[in-house]
Amino acid sequence: MKNYYRTPAALAIVALMAACSSTPTSTPLLENTRAEYRQIEQNSNVGTYAQLELKQASDAMREANLSAERRESAEKVDKQAYLARQKIALTQEVMKKKVAEADVAAAAKERDAIRLAQRTNEANQANASAQQAQLAAQAAQQEAARAQAQAEQAQRNTQDAQRATEEARAKTAEAQARTAQLEAQLEAQLADLAAKKTERGIVITLGDVLFGTDQSSLTPDGMRSAQKLADVLRQNPMRTVLVEGFTDSTGAASYNQELSSRRAASVRDALMQMGIASQRISVRGYGQDHPVAGNDNASGRQLNRRVEIVLSDASGVTKQR
Amino acid sequence: MMNNNTVSSLLTVCALAAAALTLGGCTSSMKEPATTSVAVSKAAVDNAAGADGAQFAPVEMAAARDKMARANQAMAAKDYKTALALADQAQVDAKLAQSKANSAKAQAVSNALQDDLRVLREELNRANNKPQ
Repeated sequence: MKNYYRTPAALAIVALMAACSSTPTSTPLLENTRAEYRQIEQNSNVGTYAQLELKQASDAMREANLSAERRESAEKVDKQAYLARQKIALTQEVMKKKVAEADVAAAAKERDAIRLAQRTNEANQANASAQQAQLAAQAAQQEAARAQAQAEQAQRNTQDAQRATEEARAKTAEAQARTAQLEAQLEAQLADLAAKKTERGIVITLGDVLFGTDQSSLTPDGMRSAQKLADVLRQNPMRTVLVEGFTDSTGAASYNQELSSRRAASVRDALMQMGIASQRISVRGYGQDHPVAGNDNASGRQLNRRVEIVLSDASGVTKQR
Repeated sequence: MMNNNTVSSLLTVCALAAAALTLGGCTSSMKEPATTSVAVSKAAVDNAAGADGAQFAPVEMAAARDKMARANQAMAAKDYKTALALADQAQVDAKLAQSKANSAKAQAVSNALQDDLRVLREELNRANNKPQ
Protein backbone atom coordinates (compact mmCIF):
# COMPACT_ATOMS: atom_id res chain seq x y z
CA MET A 1 0.00 0.00 0.00
CA LYS A 2 2.78 2.30 0.99
CA ASN A 3 4.77 1.43 -2.07
CA TYR A 4 1.72 1.98 -4.25
CA TYR A 5 1.58 5.61 -3.34
CA ARG A 6 5.28 6.20 -3.15
CA THR A 7 6.41 4.77 -6.43
CA PRO A 8 5.19 7.57 -8.84
CA ALA A 9 6.55 10.34 -6.66
CA ALA A 10 9.89 8.62 -6.31
CA LEU A 11 10.01 8.05 -10.03
CA ALA A 12 9.29 11.73 -10.65
CA ILE A 13 12.04 12.80 -8.30
CA VAL A 14 14.47 10.34 -9.87
CA ALA A 15 13.60 11.71 -13.28
CA LEU A 16 14.23 15.26 -12.10
CA MET A 17 17.56 14.30 -10.57
CA ALA A 18 18.60 12.38 -13.66
CA ALA A 19 18.06 15.46 -15.79
CA CYS A 20 20.78 17.24 -13.88
CA SER A 21 23.31 14.46 -13.72
CA SER A 22 23.18 13.00 -17.23
CA THR A 23 24.76 14.40 -20.53
CA PRO A 24 23.49 17.80 -21.81
CA THR A 25 21.07 18.16 -24.69
CA SER A 26 22.62 18.41 -28.14
CA THR A 27 21.01 19.50 -31.40
CA PRO A 28 22.46 20.10 -34.88
CA LEU A 29 21.45 23.77 -34.74
CA LEU A 30 23.26 24.22 -31.42
CA GLU A 31 26.40 22.57 -32.76
CA ASN A 32 26.35 24.75 -35.88
CA THR A 33 25.81 27.83 -33.80
CA ARG A 34 28.74 26.96 -31.56
CA ALA A 35 30.96 26.48 -34.58
CA GLU A 36 29.92 29.83 -36.00
CA TYR A 37 30.48 31.46 -32.64
CA ARG A 38 34.01 30.07 -32.40
CA GLN A 39 34.72 31.37 -35.86
CA ILE A 40 33.52 34.89 -35.23
CA GLU A 41 35.26 35.00 -31.87
CA GLN A 42 38.55 34.44 -33.61
CA ASN A 43 38.00 37.22 -36.14
CA SER A 44 40.47 40.00 -35.33
CA ASN A 45 38.10 42.73 -36.56
CA VAL A 46 35.28 41.81 -34.22
CA GLY A 47 36.82 43.45 -31.15
CA THR A 48 37.40 46.67 -33.05
CA TYR A 49 34.17 46.95 -34.99
CA ALA A 50 31.41 44.96 -33.24
CA GLN A 51 32.24 44.65 -29.56
CA LEU A 52 28.68 45.32 -28.39
CA GLU A 53 27.10 42.90 -30.87
CA LEU A 54 29.65 40.22 -29.96
CA LYS A 55 28.74 40.67 -26.29
CA GLN A 56 25.06 40.18 -27.10
CA ALA A 57 25.82 37.12 -29.24
CA SER A 58 28.02 35.80 -26.47
CA ASP A 59 25.21 36.20 -23.92
CA ALA A 60 22.75 34.41 -26.19
CA MET A 61 25.29 31.66 -26.78
CA ARG A 62 25.69 31.24 -23.06
CA GLU A 63 21.89 31.04 -22.64
CA ALA A 64 21.73 28.32 -25.26
CA ASN A 65 24.60 26.42 -23.66
CA LEU A 66 22.96 26.69 -20.21
CA SER A 67 19.70 25.46 -21.66
CA ALA A 68 21.52 22.51 -23.12
CA GLU A 69 23.35 21.79 -19.86
CA ARG A 70 20.04 21.91 -17.99
CA ARG A 71 19.10 19.18 -20.40
CA GLU A 72 16.06 21.05 -21.55
CA SER A 73 14.06 19.81 -24.53
CA ALA A 74 15.60 20.08 -27.99
CA GLU A 75 12.88 22.51 -28.93
CA LYS A 76 13.79 24.85 -26.05
CA VAL A 77 17.53 24.57 -26.75
CA ASP A 78 16.93 25.28 -30.42
CA LYS A 79 14.96 28.40 -29.57
CA GLN A 80 17.96 29.76 -27.65
CA ALA A 81 20.40 28.52 -30.27
CA TYR A 82 18.41 30.27 -32.99
CA LEU A 83 18.55 33.56 -31.13
CA ALA A 84 22.31 33.13 -30.63
CA ARG A 85 22.85 32.21 -34.24
CA GLN A 86 20.99 35.25 -35.56
CA LYS A 87 22.94 37.48 -33.17
CA ILE A 88 26.20 35.99 -34.44
CA ALA A 89 25.09 36.72 -37.98
CA LEU A 90 24.17 40.25 -36.90
CA THR A 91 27.63 40.69 -35.41
CA GLN A 92 29.10 39.55 -38.70
CA GLU A 93 27.00 42.03 -40.68
CA VAL A 94 27.86 44.91 -38.38
CA MET A 95 31.51 44.00 -38.73
CA LYS A 96 31.21 43.88 -42.52
CA LYS A 97 29.53 47.26 -42.52
CA LYS A 98 32.22 48.82 -40.34
CA VAL A 99 34.98 47.31 -42.46
CA ALA A 100 33.30 48.68 -45.60
CA GLU A 101 33.00 52.09 -43.97
CA ALA A 102 36.65 52.00 -42.99
CA ASP A 103 37.48 51.06 -46.58
CA VAL A 104 35.42 54.01 -47.78
CA ALA A 105 37.28 56.36 -45.47
CA ALA A 106 40.64 55.00 -46.61
CA ALA A 107 39.58 55.15 -50.24
CA ALA A 108 38.42 58.73 -49.84
CA LYS A 109 41.77 59.61 -48.38
CA GLU A 110 43.58 57.88 -51.23
CA ARG A 111 41.30 59.56 -53.75
CA ASP A 112 42.24 62.92 -52.29
CA ALA A 113 45.90 61.97 -52.50
CA ILE A 114 45.53 60.92 -56.13
CA ARG A 115 43.69 64.12 -56.98
CA LEU A 116 46.44 66.09 -55.34
CA ALA A 117 48.98 64.17 -57.38
CA GLN A 118 46.93 64.90 -60.48
CA ARG A 119 46.84 68.61 -59.70
CA THR A 120 50.57 68.55 -59.10
CA ASN A 121 51.03 66.74 -62.38
CA GLU A 122 48.84 69.20 -64.22
CA ALA A 123 50.67 72.08 -62.65
CA ASN A 124 54.02 70.56 -63.64
CA GLN A 125 52.81 69.96 -67.15
CA ALA A 126 51.42 73.47 -67.41
CA ASN A 127 54.76 74.71 -66.17
CA ALA A 128 56.58 72.64 -68.74
CA SER A 129 54.23 73.88 -71.45
CA ALA A 130 54.84 77.44 -70.39
CA GLN A 131 58.58 76.89 -70.54
CA GLN A 132 58.24 75.33 -73.96
CA ALA A 133 56.12 78.25 -75.09
CA GLN A 134 58.74 80.62 -73.77
CA LEU A 135 61.48 78.76 -75.61
CA ALA A 136 59.35 78.78 -78.75
CA ALA A 137 58.78 82.51 -78.32
CA GLN A 138 62.51 83.08 -77.92
CA ALA A 139 63.19 80.97 -80.99
CA ALA A 140 60.58 82.93 -82.92
CA GLN A 141 62.15 86.15 -81.74
CA GLN A 142 65.57 84.99 -82.88
CA GLU A 143 64.07 83.89 -86.15
CA ALA A 144 62.45 87.28 -86.56
CA ALA A 145 65.73 89.01 -85.78
CA ARG A 146 67.48 86.83 -88.34
CA ALA A 147 64.78 87.60 -90.91
CA GLN A 148 65.14 91.29 -90.18
CA ALA A 149 68.90 91.06 -90.59
CA GLN A 150 68.36 89.29 -93.89
CA ALA A 151 65.88 91.94 -94.97
CA GLU A 152 68.35 94.63 -94.05
CA GLN A 153 71.08 92.83 -95.96
CA ALA A 154 68.74 92.52 -98.93
CA GLN A 155 67.95 96.21 -98.66
CA ARG A 156 71.65 97.00 -98.58
CA ASN A 157 72.16 94.77 -101.61
CA THR A 158 69.32 96.54 -103.38
CA GLN A 159 70.82 99.88 -102.50
CA ASP A 160 74.20 98.70 -103.75
CA ALA A 161 72.62 97.49 -106.96
CA GLN A 162 70.77 100.76 -107.32
CA ARG A 163 73.95 102.65 -106.69
CA ALA A 164 75.73 100.49 -109.27
CA THR A 165 72.91 101.05 -111.74
CA GLU A 166 73.04 104.76 -111.12
CA GLU A 167 76.78 104.74 -111.49
CA ALA A 168 76.49 102.81 -114.73
CA ARG A 169 73.79 105.17 -115.91
CA ALA A 170 75.94 108.10 -114.91
CA LYS A 171 78.88 106.59 -116.76
CA THR A 172 76.71 106.01 -119.80
CA ALA A 173 75.38 109.53 -119.58
CA GLU A 174 78.91 110.78 -119.11
CA ALA A 175 80.05 108.79 -122.13
CA GLN A 176 77.09 110.07 -124.12
CA ALA A 177 77.85 113.56 -122.96
CA ARG A 178 81.47 113.12 -123.93
CA THR A 179 80.45 111.77 -127.33
CA ALA A 180 78.06 114.67 -127.77
CA GLN A 181 80.78 116.99 -126.64
CA LEU A 182 83.17 115.46 -129.14
CA GLU A 183 80.57 115.74 -131.87
CA ALA A 184 79.96 119.34 -130.94
CA GLN A 185 83.70 119.93 -130.83
CA LEU A 186 84.08 118.32 -134.23
CA GLU A 187 81.28 120.42 -135.63
CA ALA A 188 82.85 123.53 -134.18
CA GLN A 189 86.20 122.60 -135.68
CA LEU A 190 84.57 121.96 -139.03
CA ALA A 191 82.43 125.09 -138.92
CA ASP A 192 84.98 127.14 -140.87
CA LEU A 193 85.20 124.48 -143.55
CA ALA A 194 81.51 124.70 -144.56
CA ALA A 195 81.03 121.03 -143.75
CA LYS A 196 77.72 119.40 -144.60
CA LYS A 197 76.15 116.40 -142.96
CA THR A 198 75.09 113.91 -145.61
CA GLU A 199 74.08 110.27 -145.50
CA ARG A 200 77.70 109.33 -146.25
CA GLY A 201 78.89 111.34 -143.25
CA ILE A 202 80.37 114.79 -142.93
CA VAL A 203 81.42 116.13 -146.33
CA ILE A 204 83.73 119.13 -146.84
CA THR A 205 83.77 120.66 -150.26
CA LEU A 206 86.88 122.51 -151.47
CA GLY A 207 85.66 124.75 -154.32
CA ASP A 208 87.31 125.55 -157.65
CA VAL A 209 88.63 128.83 -156.34
CA LEU A 210 90.98 127.01 -153.97
CA PHE A 211 92.89 125.58 -156.91
CA GLY A 212 94.69 127.34 -159.70
CA THR A 213 92.76 127.34 -163.00
CA ASP A 214 93.37 124.04 -164.76
CA GLN A 215 95.92 123.28 -162.06
CA SER A 216 96.04 120.79 -159.24
CA SER A 217 98.01 122.89 -156.78
CA LEU A 218 96.22 124.48 -153.91
CA THR A 219 95.97 128.24 -153.55
CA PRO A 220 96.99 129.77 -150.22
CA ASP A 221 93.29 129.78 -149.24
CA GLY A 222 93.14 126.10 -150.20
CA MET A 223 96.20 125.42 -148.03
CA ARG A 224 94.48 127.12 -145.08
CA SER A 225 91.46 124.90 -145.57
CA ALA A 226 93.72 121.86 -145.75
CA GLN A 227 95.46 123.00 -142.58
CA LYS A 228 92.12 123.23 -140.75
CA LEU A 229 91.23 119.74 -141.95
CA ALA A 230 94.60 118.44 -140.81
CA ASP A 231 93.96 119.97 -137.37
CA VAL A 232 90.60 118.20 -137.19
CA LEU A 233 92.18 114.89 -138.17
CA ARG A 234 94.90 115.35 -135.58
CA GLN A 235 92.32 115.99 -132.90
CA ASN A 236 90.21 112.96 -134.04
CA PRO A 237 92.87 110.29 -134.56
CA MET A 238 90.34 107.50 -135.18
CA ARG A 239 88.80 109.20 -138.17
CA THR A 240 89.96 108.78 -141.76
CA VAL A 241 89.15 110.75 -144.95
CA LEU A 242 88.16 109.89 -148.52
CA VAL A 243 89.28 112.62 -150.92
CA GLU A 244 87.23 112.72 -154.16
CA GLY A 245 88.05 114.95 -157.15
CA PHE A 246 85.44 116.21 -159.72
CA THR A 247 85.52 118.42 -162.84
CA ASP A 248 83.02 120.06 -165.24
CA SER A 249 82.27 118.50 -168.59
CA THR A 250 84.48 120.92 -170.58
CA GLY A 251 87.28 119.14 -172.43
CA ALA A 252 88.11 115.50 -172.88
CA ALA A 253 86.80 113.11 -170.27
CA SER A 254 90.15 111.41 -169.86
CA TYR A 255 91.80 114.76 -169.24
CA ASN A 256 89.08 115.63 -166.72
CA GLN A 257 89.57 112.24 -165.07
CA GLU A 258 93.29 112.81 -164.76
CA LEU A 259 92.78 116.38 -163.50
CA SER A 260 90.31 115.28 -160.81
CA SER A 261 92.73 112.61 -159.60
CA ARG A 262 95.61 115.07 -159.48
CA ARG A 263 93.61 117.63 -157.50
CA ALA A 264 92.54 114.94 -155.01
CA ALA A 265 96.13 113.76 -154.73
CA SER A 266 97.39 117.29 -154.10
CA VAL A 267 94.99 117.57 -151.18
CA ARG A 268 96.35 114.31 -149.90
CA ASP A 269 99.91 115.49 -150.29
CA ALA A 270 99.11 118.71 -148.45
CA LEU A 271 97.54 116.72 -145.58
CA MET A 272 100.55 114.37 -145.45
CA GLN A 273 102.86 117.38 -145.33
CA MET A 274 100.84 118.54 -142.35
CA GLY A 275 101.63 115.29 -140.54
CA ILE A 276 98.61 113.10 -141.34
CA ALA A 277 99.49 109.44 -141.98
CA SER A 278 98.96 108.34 -145.61
CA GLN A 279 96.94 105.27 -144.59
CA ARG A 280 94.27 107.58 -143.14
CA ILE A 281 93.74 109.19 -146.57
CA SER A 282 92.09 107.54 -149.57
CA VAL A 283 92.00 109.28 -152.96
CA ARG A 284 89.58 108.92 -155.93
CA GLY A 285 89.19 110.87 -159.18
CA TYR A 286 85.73 110.85 -160.74
CA GLY A 287 86.35 113.30 -163.65
CA GLN A 288 83.17 114.92 -164.95
CA ASP A 289 80.88 112.37 -163.26
CA HIS A 290 78.55 113.25 -160.39
CA PRO A 291 77.98 116.94 -161.16
CA VAL A 292 76.29 118.99 -158.50
CA ALA A 293 75.05 121.66 -160.98
CA GLY A 294 74.38 122.18 -164.72
CA ASN A 295 77.41 122.33 -167.06
CA ASP A 296 75.63 124.73 -169.43
CA ASN A 297 76.62 127.94 -167.70
CA ALA A 298 79.78 129.27 -166.08
CA SER A 299 78.59 129.30 -162.46
CA GLY A 300 77.29 125.74 -162.71
CA ARG A 301 80.54 124.56 -164.18
CA GLN A 302 82.46 126.33 -161.43
CA LEU A 303 80.38 124.44 -158.79
CA ASN A 304 81.10 121.16 -160.52
CA ARG A 305 84.86 121.77 -160.37
CA ARG A 306 85.55 120.73 -156.79
CA VAL A 307 87.16 118.34 -154.34
CA GLU A 308 84.92 116.64 -151.77
CA ILE A 309 86.43 115.29 -148.58
CA VAL A 310 84.28 112.67 -146.80
CA LEU A 311 85.06 112.37 -143.12
CA SER A 312 84.68 108.90 -141.70
CA ASP A 313 82.66 108.07 -138.59
CA ALA A 314 84.40 107.68 -135.20
CA SER A 315 85.53 104.11 -136.06
CA GLY A 316 87.32 105.21 -139.28
CA VAL A 317 84.89 103.81 -141.90
CA THR A 318 83.84 105.80 -144.98
CA LYS A 319 81.15 104.90 -147.46
CA GLN A 320 82.33 104.59 -151.05
CA ARG A 321 80.29 106.29 -153.66
CA MET B 1 -0.69 3.76 7.76
CA MET B 2 -2.56 6.96 8.13
CA ASN B 3 0.68 8.71 8.80
CA ASN B 4 2.24 7.21 5.77
CA ASN B 5 -0.74 8.22 3.72
CA THR B 6 -0.49 11.78 4.94
CA VAL B 7 3.16 11.94 4.03
CA SER B 8 2.39 10.49 0.63
CA SER B 9 -0.39 12.92 -0.08
CA LEU B 10 1.76 15.80 1.12
CA LEU B 11 4.48 14.72 -1.24
CA THR B 12 1.99 14.41 -4.08
CA VAL B 13 0.53 17.83 -3.39
CA CYS B 14 3.99 19.30 -3.27
CA ALA B 15 4.92 17.76 -6.58
CA LEU B 16 1.69 18.91 -8.19
CA ALA B 17 2.11 22.40 -6.80
CA ALA B 18 5.64 22.57 -8.14
CA ALA B 19 4.43 21.45 -11.55
CA ALA B 20 1.60 23.97 -11.48
CA LEU B 21 4.01 26.73 -10.53
CA THR B 22 6.31 25.79 -13.33
CA LEU B 23 3.54 25.72 -15.93
CA GLY B 24 0.55 27.80 -14.87
CA GLY B 25 2.29 30.34 -12.66
CA CYS B 26 4.60 31.23 -15.42
CA THR B 27 1.82 31.59 -17.96
CA SER B 28 -0.07 34.27 -16.12
CA SER B 29 3.06 36.31 -15.25
CA MET B 30 4.38 36.22 -18.87
CA LYS B 31 1.69 38.52 -20.29
CA GLU B 32 3.58 41.74 -19.64
CA PRO B 33 7.03 40.77 -21.01
CA ALA B 34 5.37 39.22 -24.04
CA THR B 35 3.45 42.42 -24.75
CA THR B 36 6.64 44.46 -24.42
CA SER B 37 8.64 42.11 -26.58
CA VAL B 38 6.00 42.06 -29.32
CA ALA B 39 5.97 45.86 -29.35
CA VAL B 40 9.77 46.08 -29.47
CA SER B 41 9.92 43.47 -32.20
CA LYS B 42 7.31 45.26 -34.28
CA ALA B 43 9.42 48.40 -34.07
CA ALA B 44 12.47 46.37 -35.10
CA VAL B 45 10.61 44.91 -38.11
CA ASP B 46 9.40 48.39 -39.11
CA ASN B 47 12.94 49.78 -38.85
CA ALA B 48 14.33 46.92 -40.93
CA ALA B 49 11.66 47.49 -43.59
CA GLY B 50 12.53 51.20 -43.62
CA ALA B 51 16.20 50.33 -44.14
CA ASP B 52 15.42 48.31 -47.30
CA GLY B 53 15.66 44.99 -45.42
CA ALA B 54 13.20 43.41 -47.87
CA GLN B 55 15.52 44.30 -50.75
CA PHE B 56 18.86 43.27 -49.24
CA ALA B 57 17.75 40.44 -46.87
CA PRO B 58 14.47 39.01 -48.18
CA VAL B 59 14.77 35.70 -46.29
CA GLU B 60 15.27 37.31 -42.87
CA MET B 61 12.58 39.93 -43.53
CA ALA B 62 10.04 37.29 -44.52
CA ALA B 63 10.90 35.22 -41.44
CA ALA B 64 10.58 38.25 -39.17
CA ARG B 65 7.18 39.22 -40.59
CA ASP B 66 5.90 35.63 -40.40
CA LYS B 67 6.99 35.32 -36.80
CA MET B 68 5.47 38.70 -35.92
CA ALA B 69 2.14 37.58 -37.36
CA ARG B 70 2.30 34.32 -35.43
CA ALA B 71 3.33 36.18 -32.26
CA ASN B 72 0.27 38.40 -32.62
CA GLN B 73 -1.93 35.35 -33.09
CA ALA B 74 -0.44 33.80 -29.96
CA MET B 75 -1.07 37.03 -28.05
CA ALA B 76 -4.71 36.94 -29.15
CA ALA B 77 -4.92 33.34 -27.96
CA LYS B 78 -3.32 34.43 -24.66
CA ASP B 79 -0.44 32.01 -25.34
CA TYR B 80 2.07 34.49 -24.02
CA LYS B 81 4.95 32.07 -23.83
CA THR B 82 4.77 31.29 -27.53
CA ALA B 83 4.18 34.97 -28.31
CA LEU B 84 7.29 35.97 -26.37
CA ALA B 85 9.44 33.33 -28.06
CA LEU B 86 8.19 34.28 -31.53
CA ALA B 87 8.59 37.99 -30.83
CA ASP B 88 12.17 37.45 -29.67
CA GLN B 89 12.95 35.51 -32.83
CA ALA B 90 11.24 38.10 -35.03
CA GLN B 91 13.33 40.78 -33.35
CA VAL B 92 16.69 39.11 -34.07
CA ASP B 93 15.53 38.30 -37.60
CA ALA B 94 14.56 41.93 -38.19
CA LYS B 95 17.78 43.28 -36.70
CA LEU B 96 19.79 40.90 -38.84
CA ALA B 97 17.84 41.98 -41.94
CA GLN B 98 18.49 45.65 -41.18
CA SER B 99 22.15 44.98 -40.51
CA LYS B 100 22.50 43.04 -43.74
CA ALA B 101 20.91 45.91 -45.66
CA ASN B 102 23.23 48.41 -43.98
CA SER B 103 26.36 46.38 -44.64
CA ALA B 104 25.34 45.73 -48.26
CA LYS B 105 24.85 49.47 -48.80
CA ALA B 106 28.18 50.28 -47.19
CA GLN B 107 29.81 47.61 -49.32
CA ALA B 108 28.23 49.12 -52.45
CA VAL B 109 29.56 52.56 -51.53
CA SER B 110 32.96 51.06 -50.90
CA ASN B 111 32.91 49.21 -54.22
CA ALA B 112 31.89 52.35 -56.11
CA LEU B 113 34.66 54.29 -54.47
CA GLN B 114 37.17 51.56 -55.27
CA ASP B 115 36.07 51.75 -58.91
CA ASP B 116 36.54 55.52 -58.83
CA LEU B 117 39.96 55.00 -57.33
CA ARG B 118 40.94 52.53 -60.00
CA VAL B 119 39.91 55.00 -62.71
CA LEU B 120 41.77 57.80 -60.96
CA ARG B 121 44.91 55.70 -60.65
CA GLU B 122 44.75 54.82 -64.34
CA GLU B 123 44.33 58.47 -65.24
CA LEU B 124 47.25 59.39 -63.06
CA ASN B 125 49.42 56.70 -64.62
CA ARG B 126 48.43 57.82 -68.08
CA ALA B 127 49.16 61.43 -67.20
CA ASN B 128 52.53 60.42 -65.77
CA ASN B 129 53.45 58.33 -68.77
CA LYS B 130 52.25 60.90 -71.27
CA PRO B 131 55.16 62.03 -73.43
CA GLN B 132 55.91 65.65 -72.79
